[in-house]
Amino acid sequence: MPVPVVDLSLLAPEIALAVLATAILILGLIVPKGSRFGLSWLAIVGLAGVLGITLAGWENQGTLYEGLFIVDQYAIFFKITFLVAAFLVALGSQRYIERIGDQSEYYSVLLFAALGMLVMASAGDFITLYLGLELMTIAFIILVCFNRTSARSLEAGIKYILLAGMSSAVLLYGLSLVYGLSGSVLIPEVAQAVARHPSPALILGMVMLVAGLGFKISAVPFHMWAPDIYEGAPTPITAFLAAGSKAASFAILLRIFVAALPGVWAYWTTLVAILAAVTIIVGNLVAIPQTNIKRLLAYSSIAQAGYILVGLVTAEATGVKAVMFYAFLYVFATVGAFTVASCFYSVTGSDEIKDYAGLSQRSPFMAAVMVVCMLSMAGIPPLAGFVGKFYLFATVVNDYLWLVFIGLVMSMVSVYYYLKVTLVMYRDEPVDNTPIKLSGPVAVTLLITMAATLLIGICPGPLSEAVNAAANTFFLH
Amino acid sequence: MLSDWGAVLIFLVVGLGVGIGGVAVNLLLNPRRKFAQKYETYECGVDTIGPTWVQFKTSYFLYALLFVIFDVETIFLYPWAVQFQRLGLFAFIEMIIFISLLVIGLWYAWKEGALEWK
Repeated sequence: MPVPVVDLSLLAPEIALAVLATAILILGLIVPKGSRFGLSWLAIVGLAGVLGITLAGWENQGTLYEGLFIVDQYAIFFKITFLVAAFLVALGSQRYIERIGDQSEYYSVLLFAALGMLVMASAGDFITLYLGLELMTIAFIILVCFNRTSARSLEAGIKYILLAGMSSAVLLYGLSLVYGLSGSVLIPEVAQAVARHPSPALILGMVMLVAGLGFKISAVPFHMWAPDIYEGAPTPITAFLAAGSKAASFAILLRIFVAALPGVWAYWTTLVAILAAVTIIVGNLVAIPQTNIKRLLAYSSIAQAGYILVGLVTAEATGVKAVMFYAFLYVFATVGAFTVASCFYSVTGSDEIKDYAGLSQRSPFMAAVMVVCMLSMAGIPPLAGFVGKFYLFATVVNDYLWLVFIGLVMSMVSVYYYLKVTLVMYRDEPVDNTPIKLSGPVAVTLLITMAATLLIGICPGPLSEAVNAAANTFFLH
Repeated sequence: MLSDWGAVLIFLVVGLGVGIGGVAVNLLLNPRRKFAQKYETYECGVDTIGPTWVQFKTSYFLYALLFVIFDVETIFLYPWAVQFQRLGLFAFIEMIIFISLLVIGLWYAWKEGALEWK
């Protein structure tokens, strides 16, 4: 039997990440418990290396295993996004994790979650998609309840297991319907079947697929889990959950629906437009009365998912481009805001917004990062979020003016609750005046997130061009 | 198109009907005679002795999980072993990688004390 020829260079990022994660697990078994701190550095440097490998493979495109695994610039761009998110989270969470658990377990599971995302971005069929999705989800379940001594963290873990199980069940049911009717699990072949004969059960299957992934991107009405789990999970994990898991689900959603779109155009666009509008409205309005910073950011991240969904409405090259652009900058804003929250929690033990009083005096840098990240999410120029939202809404301005209108009004609403936090940080006098000291890696993380948010906002050209190129490869096949 | 949706509708109606029908028929037909034993937790079982809120050791669960490692290993090893001659070196190396991944899992569980009956 001939040996199947596989171009392993296309798989280099996945293989490197899998080896890194396994190596950290093994080293954790060998190295005594007290001296595992170095493993976190291995994870961080390793992630930077994998990121380098992925960047170096930008031009190296192809399809593996008869279409099961697609490596195009679209997938590579999303992989870079996930790896950047994982890198920032890993860098920002060293101290936080040191207090609550074992470094080697944490970092290896974190890397496996990232590996799941990479597989999702490249999935060319439903089985690979499901494999990546479950690898990511199971790793996240472990990470969410990583703080074993905290009842809240465990509660969040249980909730996440139940909801992940449910969403997987819906997704699988949808997949089985789609497979049963189209006779294939390969996304392009399913798309052809949908285009040839869009039978109702097939569309039902597609809708269930959206619902299953809707849980992961926490789009309304599948958002109920997000605030509780975001609040209970260790804060760095919340950041990774909000940034990475969401971006991965968007990556696969786009791949499925851009391919399958011609057959279901009429059903699809209106459905997504309504879903986006409801998500934006609910996320922003419910964020207003929140008093806990993590809950506030959770609802704001629901609203952000709504904005990204706008890019899926048209699902043309411009929409895909806008989604990729926004997903990338959203990683920086989210990780920045949550890292400030996690750092603040490490020092004060509080996540309440009122305790942020006078943060501008205790740590001007942290307050500044928080403001920049939040205003970017609100879409204030000259920050990255403004450009991102501009691209997103520009795609629908001709056909769905009402959606643009809702988006703009709700962005203004979001400015209100983001500025409320800013007011507390800058206007109110601190109860406790001691300055907050940042450890080196955390300061670097915050610096990167802030610099990236500012840079992409001021000069979006290079990223925009990269995204353009990537979006174009997506439409070639 | 309408008749196509009709198939989905029938599917839904029959699916719901089987579930609801079973419960409804039970409610309509069952004899209602109430006596003390009806209110027991296990009507048809053995009466419980002592407190019933007993905790089971998680070790049972851990052993079951470890069993899965060997189980999966066997499932994949068997067809490979049968076709060993034909598959050759490539499959051999793949199998080594596969087994070593499982062994790492076992090693991890061992080290974390999953095999100790505490």
